[in-house]
This record gives sequence, C-alpha cells and structure tokens, in this order.
Amino acid sequence: MKRIRLSVFDFMLLLLLLTAIFRASLLVKIGMLFISYLAFWVTDFDKAIAQFSFGMIDYFCSLFMLVIISLVLILKRKKIKQPQSFSFLHNTAVVILYVFLFAPLITNNNYDFQKDLSVTQLLPPLSSTNVLHLKPHHAMAGQSEKFFSQKKEVVKASFDEEILFIDSFKIADSTLSYFQNGMKNSLPLSAVELIDGKPNITTKIFFLGSDELGRDIFTRIIYGTRISMLVGVCAVVLSLLIGVLFGFIAGFYGGVIDIILSRINDMFLTFPIIFFVILILAFFGNSFTSVIVVLGFSGWMSLFRIVKGEVVSLNNKDYFISAQQLGLSGTKLLLKEALPVIATPVIVNTVFQFGNVVLSESALSFLGLGVGSDYPSWGAMINSGQAYLSQAWWMIFFPGFAIVLTILTINDFGKKVSRYFNPRLYE
Amino acid sequence: MNRSFIALSFFKRGATSVLILFLTVSLLFVLVRIAPGDPSQKYLSPNLSPQLFEKVKSSFQLDKSIAEQYISFVKNAFTGDFGVSYKYHRPVNEVIFEVLPFTIIFSLSAFAVQFVGGLVLALWAFHNHKKFLDKFLSRGSILLYAVPSFVSGLFFVYIFSVQLKLFPSSGIKTVGTLEENIFLLGLDYLHHLFLPLVVLSLTGLPIYFKYFRQHFEEHQEKLYTIYLRANGVAENKIFSRHIIPNSLNSIIAYAGVDLGILFSGALITEVIFSLPGMGRLTVNAILEHDYPLIIGCTLTAGVLIILTNLAADLIRMKIDKRLIKGLIN
Amino acid sequence: MSITRKNIFIFFFILSSVFIGCKKESSSSNSQVVIAIPSDIERINPLFAFSINEANINELLFLSLVKHSWDENGGDLKTAPMLANSWEWNSDSSSITLNLRNDVKWSDGVPLSIADVIFSFDVYSDPAVESYLYGAFLNFITDKDNHIIAEKTFEKLSETKLKINFAPGSSPSLFNLDFPIVPKHVFEKIPRKDIATAKESFAPVTSGPFMFEKWEKNQAIIIKENPNSFLHQDGTIERIIFKVVPDYSSRLTQLKNHEVDLTEYLKPEDVDELKKAESFVITSLKGREYDYLGWNNIDREKYNKNKSIVPNKLFGSPKVRQAISMALNRNEVITSYLRGYGELANSPISPIFKNAVDEKLLPYSFDLAKAKTLLAKEGWNDKDQNGILEKNGDEFKFTLTISSNNPRRIFAATLFKNTLKQIGIEMNIEQVELGMLIDKINNKNADAWMASWIIPIPLDLKFSWYSNLATTPMNFPSYQNKELDLLLDKLETKISKKQKNEIYKKIESILHRDQPVTFLYWIDNIVAYNKKIKNIEVTPLGTVHHCWTWR
Repeated sequence: MKRIRLSVFDFMLLLLLLTAIFRASLLVKIGMLFISYLAFWVTDFDKAIAQFSFGMIDYFCSLFMLVIISLVLILKRKKIKQPQSFSFLHNTAVVILYVFLFAPLITNNNYDFQKDLSVTQLLPPLSSTNVLHLKPHHAMAGQSEKFFSQKKEVVKASFDEEILFIDSFKIADSTLSYFQNGMKNSLPLSAVELIDGKPNITTKIFFLGSDELGRDIFTRIIYGTRISMLVGVCAVVLSLLIGVLFGFIAGFYGGVIDIILSRINDMFLTFPIIFFVILILAFFGNSFTSVIVVLGFSGWMSLFRIVKGEVVSLNNKDYFISAQQLGLSGTKLLLKEALPVIATPVIVNTVFQFGNVVLSESALSFLGLGVGSDYPSWGAMINSGQAYLSQAWWMIFFPGFAIVLTILTINDFGKKVSRYFNPRLYE
Repeated sequence: MNRSFIALSFFKRGATSVLILFLTVSLLFVLVRIAPGDPSQKYLSPNLSPQLFEKVKSSFQLDKSIAEQYISFVKNAFTGDFGVSYKYHRPVNEVIFEVLPFTIIFSLSAFAVQFVGGLVLALWAFHNHKKFLDKFLSRGSILLYAVPSFVSGLFFVYIFSVQLKLFPSSGIKTVGTLEENIFLLGLDYLHHLFLPLVVLSLTGLPIYFKYFRQHFEEHQEKLYTIYLRANGVAENKIFSRHIIPNSLNSIIAYAGVDLGILFSGALITEVIFSLPGMGRLTVNAILEHDYPLIIGCTLTAGVLIILTNLAADLIRMKIDKRLIKGLIN
Repeated sequence: MSITRKNIFIFFFILSSVFIGCKKESSSSNSQVVIAIPSDIERINPLFAFSINEANINELLFLSLVKHSWDENGGDLKTAPMLANSWEWNSDSSSITLNLRNDVKWSDGVPLSIADVIFSFDVYSDPAVESYLYGAFLNFITDKDNHIIAEKTFEKLSETKLKINFAPGSSPSLFNLDFPIVPKHVFEKIPRKDIATAKESFAPVTSGPFMFEKWEKNQAIIIKENPNSFLHQDGTIERIIFKVVPDYSSRLTQLKNHEVDLTEYLKPEDVDELKKAESFVITSLKGREYDYLGWNNIDREKYNKNKSIVPNKLFGSPKVRQAISMALNRNEVITSYLRGYGELANSPISPIFKNAVDEKLLPYSFDLAKAKTLLAKEGWNDKDQNGILEKNGDEFKFTLTISSNNPRRIFAATLFKNTLKQIGIEMNIEQVELGMLIDKINNKNADAWMASWIIPIPLDLKFSWYSNLATTPMNFPSYQNKELDLLLDKLETKISKKQKNEIYKKIESILHRDQPVTFLYWIDNIVAYNKKIKNIEVTPLGTVHHCWTWR
C-alpha cells in the first residue's frame, strides 16, 4: 500500500497558494495601498509619518512574506532536505507558523471589533447575523481621500459606523424599522444603502462564536497565536542569554562566583517560581514587556545547569586547555570552543523551555496577570469565559484547544529536535 | 558508612537550606521595599486619625532606618513571627495554620493518585509491551501532559457540574452542614474534592507514567538484569525485586520536588474550584499587598519544600545505601 | 484487568448514587430564615457597625429612639416611634422632648432607662471608643474633641421624659437620634478603649425584637425572636441564620437548593434561571448605587507638587466632558450586561427621591456626531488624520484605571474604549487591585477611573461635591464650582422641604451641565428570596430590616 506523502514544505506552499487564491482581492488592495503610501513618502512626508501604523505595516509584511516565502519554496523545493516522516503534529506546526505570520490575511476582522451587542453577544459557533449596510457618510475624492478609503478597506478597524447588526427589518413609508433582540428602532430609508430598491443586507458568520462583548472568537484566537509565540520567543531568548552567560561564568571561573551563582540558582529552583512571577507582576504592573522579562528571568535555571556542567567538563579536556594556553580570551573561548559543544543540549532545552513559557503566559493571563487587555491572549479569553461557562462553552473550548494543540506541537518538535541531535537515544 | 559522617552530611544540607531561605527572605525584603506605594498606606483608611497613622507606621517600623528594618525583618522571619495580616487582622501564623491542613491533605492525596496511578499504568503498559494498549497509554500521556489544568479543570466543571450536575463546582464541603456522622461528612468532602483531585492529578500523572515506563524499559536491558535472567531468576522476581526498586530511586528525587511544590499550593486548581489552599492564600495576599502574609506564606512554602526534598533523600537512602556518598557532595 | 475497570465503574456508581441520596433537604423550616452573607462579621456591637451586615444585624438586636423607614409614594424617609413613643420640638427646634417607653427590658432582665440613652450618646461620641459614628454629632453641644457634654445636653424631666438641647445655630433632625441604644450596665464596667475587643462585643446583651443565640466563627450568626419585645407578633419567623458563604456561585447554588432562603447582589445573568425555578421571588433594590467615570478636573502633577489648581489639559473643560458623556453607549451596558437591572444616571441625586429629581432633565443620548462637533468647537481636531484628536500639539490619550475584580466595569470599559476610539480619543485601560485604585484616586494620582458611589440616605452631597479640596477629601474629581457651594451651604440651613427639593433640582442641573464625572447608570441590587417568606419589604433602605414582621 502506497501512501500519498505530502511534505511539510509542500503543505506550507499549499496553504500559501490557497491564501493567494481566496484572498486575491485583499492582496491586490494591500499592494495598491502600499503604492499610495509610498507616494506619500515622496509627496507629503509629514502625512506619511502621521499615517504610519503598525496595523498597516502588518498587512504590508504579510503580503511581502507571502510572495517571498512562496518564491523561495517553489525555487528551492528540490534542494531543501525533506524530513522523512510526516505526521499530524507536523501539520499543526506549519499551521501555527502560518497563522503567526499571516494573521491579517486569514481573518477579515479586527480582533477588537464589536457592534450592536444585543445581536452579537455570546453567539454560538457557526451562527450568522444579518448586516444592514448604511450609506457612507461622505464621498471620497482627491489623492489623500483615496488613500484613506483604500486604507479603510484594507486595515480593519475595531468599529464600523456604516453597518448595523440586526435580527430582522420591515419597510413602511420610506422608513426602515429594524429589530435587535426584540427592540425596535427605525431609520429613514434614505440613510440605507439600497440595491435595486432593496436594502443591502449581507450575513456575517461567527465561525467559532462570539464572546460576551460580541467579538469574533475565531479572530481573537488567530491573533492570540501571535501573543503566545512572541512572548514565548522573547522570553526564551532572554532565558537563553542569562542561562548561557551565567552558566559559562560559573563553569569557567569556578570558585566563589560559581558558589554564589549556584546558590541563587538553587533558590530559584527550590521556590515555587510562580509566586515570584505573580508578585513582581502584581507589584510592578503587568504589560507585554514585563511578562516577557519576568518569564525570561524565571526560566534560566536549567540552562544554567546544563551550560555550567558542559563547561566544567570542557575545562578538563585537552583541546580546551591548549586553547586556553594559546592565549584565547574568555569571550573567544566561549564563542569558538564552548558554544559548539554546548549547543546541542541547549537547543533541545530551549525548545522545551519555549513550551513552558507559552504555557506560563496563558496561565498568567488566566489569572489576570498576563499581557494586558489590549491584546487577545488565549489565557485571558478562557478567564473571561469562566463567568459564562454555563451559557457559552465555546468561549473556553476553542482557546483551550488552541493552547493544547500548540503545546503538543512544541513538545513534539522538541522531541524531534533532540532525536535529531542524539539519534542514539532513540534507537 | 559511619554515623558521624551522615550527621555531617545532614548538617551541611541544613546549612545550605538555611542559606537559601535567607536569600529568599532578602529578595522578598528588597521587592517589598522597592514596590511602588507605602506599605502602611494599604492598611489605612482615609479617615484614620494622624496619631493612629503614626502608631501603624511604627508597628511597621517604617520610622527606622532601612538597615534596622532589614535586621528585624530577618529576625522575625526566622523566629516564625510574621506579624499581623493586614487583611485578616489576625496573626499570620493563625491564618496560615487554618489552610495548611487542607493543603497538605489535598496535595498528599493528589500526589498519591499521581504516583500510584503513574506506576500502575506504567506497569500495565509495560506488560503489554509494544501492543496497542502501550501505544495508547503513551500517546494519551503525551496528550494529557499538554493539557493545562485551567483547561482540563473548566472542561470537567462544564461536563460534570454544569451539564451532568454530578459534582459541585466549588468549595470543599456543603457549607453550614450540620452532619454529625463522620462517614457522611467524609463523603461530603470527597464529593466536593473529587473533581479538583482528578484535575490536579491529571497534571502529574503523565509525568510519572512516562518516568516509570522509561525506567522499566532501561533497566530491562541493563547488564544486571540480563545476568539475573541468565542465572535463571524468574522474570516476575527480577521485576518486583530489582527493576521496580531501581526505577523508584531516581523518580523519588523528582517526587520530592514535585510534592514540595504541591504543598506550596496548587494555585490554578484552587482558583477554579475556589478551594481554601495555600496557593490562593498567597496570591490573594500578593494582590492585596498584605506583606506580612506574603512573607509568611512564602517562607512556609520554602520550609515545606526543603522538608519534602529531605524526606525524598532519606527514602532514597533507605532503598540504596550507596547514595549517601553521592548526596553529600 | 477488566475486573479492575468494572470495579472502578461500580465505585463511581455507588459514589454518585450516594451523593444523590444524601442531598440535603432544605435546612430551614417555616419558622426560620437563612440569609446568605458574603463574609463573617467582626463583632456584634452597634458602636462598631462598620459593615452593612453588622448594621443590619444590630438593627434587629438593638432598638433606637426613633426608626426611619422608606415612604415609597413620597420618595423620602418617614419617621416612626421606637423607644421614644412620641416627641415634641420646641418652637425654634433648638431642643426636643422625648417620651420614652417604660416596657423595654434588656435581654438580661435589666430595664432600659433614660440612663442608657444618655450613656449611649456619651459613648458613641467619645474619641477613646472610636465608634463608627464618632464625629457625626455636630448638631449637639460638644467639647473640642466632638465629645457630647452630657450635663449641657440632657435634662431628665421624669423617669420617661428626656429633653435634649442641641447646639445653638445648628439644624438638628430626628436622624440625629436614629442609632441603636447600648446597655449602660454592661459597657460602663469596661474601659472605653477596650470596648471594641471586650467579650461583650461578641455575645451581646440586647433590647430588640431579636436576641442573640449563637455565633459560629466563619460559619453562621444565629438570632432568635424575643417574645418579650413590644414588637413581637404571633406567627412571625422565630429564627434568622446569617450564613457566611464567601463564594458567589455557592450562594447561588445554595439558594437553588433551598439551603439558603435569601441572597442579595445577584448577577443579572443568573436571574432567568432562578425565574424558571418558580419558587423564588426576585425583586430589586433600585437607586442606591451608581457607576461613574471619574475625570480628574485638575492637573494632578501640579496639584501634587504645590497644591496649585490648574485645569486638566484633557478634562478641564465641561464641554469636553459633555462630549465624552455623549460618546459612551451607556444603554448598551444596561441592556447587554445589566439586562435591564439598571437605569441611566443623570446626577448623584437618585430617582428614588421622587420630589427632588427633575424629571425634565434628560440624560445625554449616545450621539457620536454631536460629540465630535462639540470636541471640534473646543479645539480638538484630527489635523494629521491619524485617528487621534489633538489640540496645541497634545494628543487626546489617557489611561482609565479600574479595579481588576469587577467584571461589570471591565465590560463597560472595553465597550467605552471602542466608542471613544471612533471619535478620536485613545483610552488605555489599566486594571489594578481595588486597594491600589482607592489609593490612586485618594491621592489624586489617576487621570480617569471608573468606580461607584453608594448614596447615603438621607441625601448628602457635600461630602463629595464641595469645592474646598482640603476639607472634602472625597471630592475625587476635584470639581470646583462656587455656585454649587452656595447651594450646598444653603441646604444646611433651616429651610422647608419644598425649598430643599428646589435646591436639589438646581444642583442636579449644574452637575448634569458640567459633568464633573460622567454619571453612568444606577445599578439595581437584585434580591432573590424563597417564596415561603412573606411580608418582606425591599426598599431603598435595604432588604434585611423589619424582619420581626416577616412571616
């Protein structure tokens, strides 16, 4: 029996291709917006600065990345070494990476978008609502107005004054009455966008339901990936720097420095570190950076031990001693001799540490001490869903699923990495 | 191995432990001092008289120098006199001793379930070596390991409390119950603590399963097993007399650390099920800036962790005499 | 192995069937009522009734001279006799003569006499005691420590007749006499400063329609009816158990399981389910608490540096504050979060004071276009079109501080953040622990915050709206208005009820116009109780009162 094997990179390419097909119009719009924005840099520098926003840059980056990654994958496809086995968790790793990079292309909403709560609050998955389109306030003309209308179409805002979510509507005597959860309101028909004399009504689907504030859970999960990954990567890099540096110092110089650092390390290991983390976040405020710093500082212990152990054993090896005698300085020794040797265990440890940090971040957010309310975080979503447990299971289930899947993927990846470096262990 | 040698080793360990506690206390002191806001402010309501304010201030020793404050802080911390909790208006020791019995019983039972459950499942899997069951359990444990307790906890609450209404979703007993019958009272506790226990155990179970399963496999192929087998010792005997004790040895070291952390509070489980445990007490103290209680809780946790580690080492020594030498260094 | 599995199932089955079997029947019979309270009380001594639950319990255990109740039709308080059968003011209201009952005995058998009344005034106003009413006896003749001078104040005319002289120039009322009288023969033996911790504060000698029975720490406070009280009627409830249930969801569950008969402060989302059960009466106590968005009217940095008053760059102008009030979709919070258990607020004068509120004054309606125009008139424009308004180079950005354990405020703040963004105002939300929030607004260290006021009855506005910031620490927004000060001062003079109501209406229109804070909505306290209890009267004064008439 021959199985059809899809390689990881082919899968990524497939995802990118699907994005390009389904989001073609958006991609074109992003391209046009980019050109208009570039024009600003030439014609009106002040305006270009004023219009700079990370939201917009995000869209530009997604577009470029889509093009570049696709090209690289297509051109170098033959040359990239393909992993032998292929499993479900490989897929998820690709999906997580894809979601992380292309979040703005995947979803059509702003993660904070909310409107007409009486209609959109706590909707179950796959429910749809009617959207009534109103006439735009004023027509757009001129170069900068054109830019703004382009920008409005591409960069999704957290509000929209030109639509209304309604349950049903009625027209009588050039007024349109609409119902929102049993409440009746009316509008002059002239304010409504008409198509062939009928109001323009579309439907909006909430794939994974909506939360208590009428926000789309799907979108929030997509953007939540970024928070988890960013916090994870930054904190792990910080732990890595601290652990490797201290470990090297302790192992290389030994003596009093080693004793002090080891005792501090013991202290961090002995104590339930979560309380220190909570204490610092509660006292000094929780924000994106403080969470990263605190998690980074609380994860250096195992790396310290590994690096110290390796360096101590290196110290006794002949080639290291001779390198020392040749007069290589401390930093040079670290970079040239020690780093290659300690790289393997450190990389393996780092991957698992990454999983731990992602887990810790969501746990902190669950306790209300995460990255703050400005960003959608999976843990925070679960926290707010707790109050609505009996009414809206989807508020907890989907972010919970995302967390489990991510950690599963990271752990699996860690196992693969360590198997790659130590194939003997897994024979 | 003579007695004085063992005594010396324990003395050395004790000294290290005290040093670690001392470091922790100092770190806490620094954190409390550099935290924004005057600690006495949290305690005072705006309409207290200025005289009373001074009284409170002097009770915090805020009128003394930092060095003096630090010395008395360390002294109080090590004599177990943590002062009066700002929130409860009662001695910190009293507040802690109120939640400690529950915490210890609860974490010990969760620990027992994890440890024994992990051992039994690993045995079961090992006996069905490489069969479907073995693979199923291994995969299952990998999956379980990735499920954080706040996800599994809320999932269980949703299924068993909200939907099936089988178990209560919070608390440790029916409040105000006037039940005299000890058996029924015990059942009431069990009824309330069943879900929390399951949730807390599920976080550790896969770890113990994995450890045991791995060690069984490793020891199975070690030289001494092969030697014993070659000498015609029964497979069952090899397993129960040699492989299990040898595996236990390294796992207990991990278990010591694990139990210590459990004692300091199963924070997330306590939060989900609103249980009166050390974890929630500590975090609430932190959130409410109840400094004496924070220090009391942290040090209690530290002492418990050191004690469990010590206990784990003693058990290991009982199993394997050779270890004494290793532990000293 | 299959045996083990079977065993587990059998065990599980037994376990669950036992649980279903041992589910307790209602612990309360017809003659007793179980009331859930969220935390244990500290002591049972009316001198120190700092918390609402302590005050409620004390009110049942101790009698006061007169008793106030709520007059629904008039929208105001009415006074009823209690220990004092009748009373008579002298011509210029500078003194009052009380006729006391002679049939009241303390629970230890000692008769309640005029000496107890005089002693109570003395001990409540004694600075050494630090009672919860200390400093509140401003209408009485006091020494410099606000301690009532008994010799000048009281004249014992007979065994049941007591004359009380008030301070010259003051405007006393019967509210000054409405507090629980304490037993002299019990407390006179204890040094004044030790009363708070004395054992008599935990097992009290009482005079009211209920007597103290038992107090299980952290579990329950049990009181039983006093058959000797003149308030005693046949067929009323015999026992009230105040059960400590700290956790909200367990209070709700216990109410559903009939382990608790009455609970307050229900969340709006739980009402529907209770209504379905059909065995509860659900009612609400309206108009006592309102949420507001506080704006620091003055520049906090300059004030904290040298107490100088400079208008806040953002919130200094009343027009800007008006515009913000228009840009908040308050109705959406009322329908989607409060589920109708609330109403829009206009000013701190609650709609329950029917004669004091101006019904013609309408709340600002949600109107983003109008808000934008108003802000543009004030000079706030988005010239660089980056989505945020600016004026003189400053952008309209601020941080709203809210407490992290109030889901209602987190909900509202998230909504408001979004609508403010639509008119070009960037609001960041900072969640802190409640103590930190109080600390911040007390020291004027917040630009904007969301909190609530529980309004006092009778109405008192001066404590939070008077301009003098040194004497009015509760004026958190630091709002200053001379016109308002005059009106507030005038309220303290001897004027008729009608004149007072006119002044209230004026105050209302000033506060509505200036929006020193954005008054958001009045929040109902949702109360649910078991249908078996009859005769409960939920008024703005509370739920747990007049329990001696409950059946």
